[in-house]
Amino acid sequence: MSQPKRKLTLNRRHNLIGWAFLTPATLLIVAMSFFPMFKALLLSFKTGIGVKMQWTGITNYVRMFQDGVFVQALKNTFLYLIIQVPIMLILALILASMLNDRNLKFKGLFRTAIFLPCATSLVSYSIIFRSLFAVDGFINAVLTKLGILSTGYNFLAHPTSARIVIILALVWRWTGYNMVFYLSGLQNIEYSVYEAAKIDGASAFQAFRKITVPLLKPTILLTAIMSTNGTLQLFDESMNLTNGGPANATVTMSHYIYNVSFKYVPNFGYAAAMSYLILILVAVLAYFQMKVGDKRD
Amino acid sequence: MIKIRSACRYLFLIIASLISVFPLIWMAISATNTSVDVVAGRMIPGTYLVQNFKNLLASQDVAGAMINSFKYSVTLTILSLIVCSLAGYGFEIFHDRGKDTVMSILLLAMMVPFASTMIPLFQMFSKAQLLNTTMGFILPTISTPFLIMLFRQSARSFPHDIIEAARIDGLSEVGIFFRMFFPTMRSTYAAAMTITFMNAWNSYLWPKVIMQDNASITMPMLVANLKEGYVTDYGMLMLAVLMCTIPTIIIFFLLQKSFAEGITGAVK
Amino acid sequence: MKKKVMVLLLTAAMVVSAIGCGSKAADTTAPAAEAPAADAAEAPAADDAAADTAAAGGDNTLTVWCWDPAFNIYAMQEAEKVYQKTNPDFKLNIVETPWEDIQTKLTTAASSGDLSSMPDIMLMQDNAFQKNVISFPDAFTDLTASGIDYSQFGASKVAYSVVDGKNYGVPFDNGAVIACYRTDVLEEAGFTAADFTDITWSDYIAKGKEVLAKTGKPLLSCQAGESDVIMMMLQSAGSSLFDAEGNPSMVDNAVLKEVMQTYAELVQSGVLIEVNDWDQYVGSITNSTVAGTINGCWIMASIQTAADQSGKWAITDMPKLDKASGATNYSNNGGSSWAVTSNCKNTDLAFDFLAKTFAGSVEFYETILPSSGALATYLPAADSTVYAEPQEFFGGEPVFAQITEFAGKIPTNNTGVYYYEARDAVAVAITNVVAGADIDAELKTAEDTVNFAMGK
Repeated sequence: MSQPKRKLTLNRRHNLIGWAFLTPATLLIVAMSFFPMFKALLLSFKTGIGVKMQWTGITNYVRMFQDGVFVQALKNTFLYLIIQVPIMLILALILASMLNDRNLKFKGLFRTAIFLPCATSLVSYSIIFRSLFAVDGFINAVLTKLGILSTGYNFLAHPTSARIVIILALVWRWTGYNMVFYLSGLQNIEYSVYEAAKIDGASAFQAFRKITVPLLKPTILLTAIMSTNGTLQLFDESMNLTNGGPANATVTMSHYIYNVSFKYVPNFGYAAAMSYLILILVAVLAYFQMKVGDKRD
Repeated sequence: MIKIRSACRYLFLIIASLISVFPLIWMAISATNTSVDVVAGRMIPGTYLVQNFKNLLASQDVAGAMINSFKYSVTLTILSLIVCSLAGYGFEIFHDRGKDTVMSILLLAMMVPFASTMIPLFQMFSKAQLLNTTMGFILPTISTPFLIMLFRQSARSFPHDIIEAARIDGLSEVGIFFRMFFPTMRSTYAAAMTITFMNAWNSYLWPKVIMQDNASITMPMLVANLKEGYVTDYGMLMLAVLMCTIPTIIIFFLLQKSFAEGITGAVK
Repeated sequence: MKKKVMVLLLTAAMVVSAIGCGSKAADTTAPAAEAPAADAAEAPAADDAAADTAAAGGDNTLTVWCWDPAFNIYAMQEAEKVYQKTNPDFKLNIVETPWEDIQTKLTTAASSGDLSSMPDIMLMQDNAFQKNVISFPDAFTDLTASGIDYSQFGASKVAYSVVDGKNYGVPFDNGAVIACYRTDVLEEAGFTAADFTDITWSDYIAKGKEVLAKTGKPLLSCQAGESDVIMMMLQSAGSSLFDAEGNPSMVDNAVLKEVMQTYAELVQSGVLIEVNDWDQYVGSITNSTVAGTINGCWIMASIQTAADQSGKWAITDMPKLDKASGATNYSNNGGSSWAVTSNCKNTDLAFDFLAKTFAGSVEFYETILPSSGALATYLPAADSTVYAEPQEFFGGEPVFAQITEFAGKIPTNNTGVYYYEARDAVAVAITNVVAGADIDAELKTAEDTVNFAMGK
């Protein structure tokens, strides 16, 4: 009789300790994120210029779907999401499992090199990407030498090629970043598992599919959610690489929100409403990702 | 056969590394050239490095910005790692439905573009007299859903029997966290430290709103100062950008062994 | 070893977190802000210390935000020296802040209703003046009765900072448009700079084609997706993207249509090449890819970075539109003015300072011109002998006097509150027109976009 009772109190005790562990972080997020988010939510139902705001109901939410630029930005952002995120995550996984090999030489150098892009300042990398893809730039020089193009092609002046440049830039910049989490996740897998698989005659690809991917599932889920969130809030590349052009063909939602807030006549109610649309989109996508990936075995 | 495969692997890694490093090399070369040469796309190291350096020191308080950036970033990284790893550990080790729900709700906090929450946040910080302070810089990002989730996900592979054994040995829960979890999860801490430091170091939008005097600017703000104005000195700009990038690279290089060759491998 | 490092880091971490409050207070730079920064969560809003970060009221110090050490910051420092001659205790606290950051800080502070962090004086892009004063009327001080004599400035320049008949800015740098040509390249094609003075755009294109054929160099480059060239052409004929009531005027704007046609023709003829960003634009000039440029006179500073081209440049006025009735050879691009914020506690001092320097001292402008090239919009300065000095780099001509003369002839235009929206919409339109789209349809789309942004 006394035994289960003690267990119950122990459970309750653990439960309370658990809450104690997460209280500081949770309180900080409530104060620093949820409180301002609540204010932004209120704002999203208001309209006006600068400080002169009045209530307007859901007008802002209706308005964004009539806004040609915003709809274009929404489409662009989803295009980036669908193409770029899978390519990047798969590439990062492959690189991480390659670099996890004990027998590989110069591992530290390779790792640092592949991580470098996300540490490289936006200023220099956007200048370089623009000059690489300029009419008289490096890429065009190579392509004309190889006979693929007859004259230089202005990549950033055409919608499709400009979008491809943005996707390439994103993959370039963030693959190493995601690789870091995979590498660190891989450390929790016993290396002997791989050696046993090798003895059993499994190929590198089979080991990757049967061991690496399942065991890294929690980390893959994490990077998938983070990348989805990052892409839907994409700002830097649109702002610095293409400035949204040509003719808004590469503009993203966050870039447009920034313009509406700080470049144009400030309309914070509208900006807040667009931000909440992003929240809804990310939340829905993350919900499905968690449904699929966040099961404890 | 195996040799060819191994050669292919090295080739792939070398190409990937070269593509990754190229802009950094370009930046380093540019830092040694004059502005006109940089714009002309000169790819050969020049002799203008010292002059660029002198010009940079003359026009900007580089030492001050470096010290500020270090002060803000290191404080933020340390506090952030403690607060978020405690929470991530709590969410996973003591998980139940209630805590899983709280975790999902916390994730919402990262889904709204910062441009929209910045104004209420500024209002709070201005009222609390936190403009131009380290606290002002770090408070909004000490606790991030991303780091909490990173620690929660990696705590999943932390063996529960270790905890049970430690409890039987009479270790307190906090003791278990610091004495067992912390050393075991070294690779996660190292990865988290790298990323948090980098994000703090490069953060720009928030600092530029709350830092309002010359004495509290950060390195990214200094770089932005150099881009403004009617004439940009690109050689000097690239030198500043290079100086702004190097600390993150050093931190990564020092820590990469810790997160890529973690404890599990070393035990063998 | 590694373990030790980690333990050390952990210990350090715990120490820092334990004395968190202490570390905060110690590193604060502004002494006034130090004490109340006790704890974020419970820090009371101390009203008495509200003006700690910026505008220090009462004494003889003014805080200024501006952004270019070689130019407007330098000018402010010199102004400080000039004013100190009559007011020795006077001091300026100049905070280097890029324009985009000034805009972000202003928008954030004004929208949050807490202007206490604003400086006394800030430099503002002329194009953003209307937008900011109308969006945040409480953030600025009316300068109409401040004692500044506005008749001493070019009328088109003053117009940028006038809202509802009230003056909100003290004009500073000059954005008068100049056309610059490489005389060595022109010579190769059999032309001189005189052949490009007081001409029309059709002349320009015809001669430009010849230069291109003979030397392989286009006459002009500009940034794709930006509408600077369009806006310069438009203003040169006194036209704007908005009518007097502030409604967008694009579809029925014959001048704009001519401008779009001219621009498309420039691109198609190869006389104008579009590059992808500002760096490439500057590069095209300094690398001798192009034989000239047309821009605000501040572009001279970038041109002069190519020291080996000294003496090979000539400056003249820009081409004018062929058909438009009010067409002139003069326009404006860029430039900025000083605004006094409402957070300024000592407005008398700020007014007096501005009136005696930027709006009242020829000597001051004479000092800043030679080393910064900061061309004034203060008309009396044009008669100064310093302005009449010949400039070696630009073929030994007295270009500063010349440009100041241009500045007086610029037609006034109406930037409008929704200037940036309209500008971006026109940039989209011209991108599509160059790619082959119909001008009327694109102008209609642009006008709809602006109307939408205005909530119509």
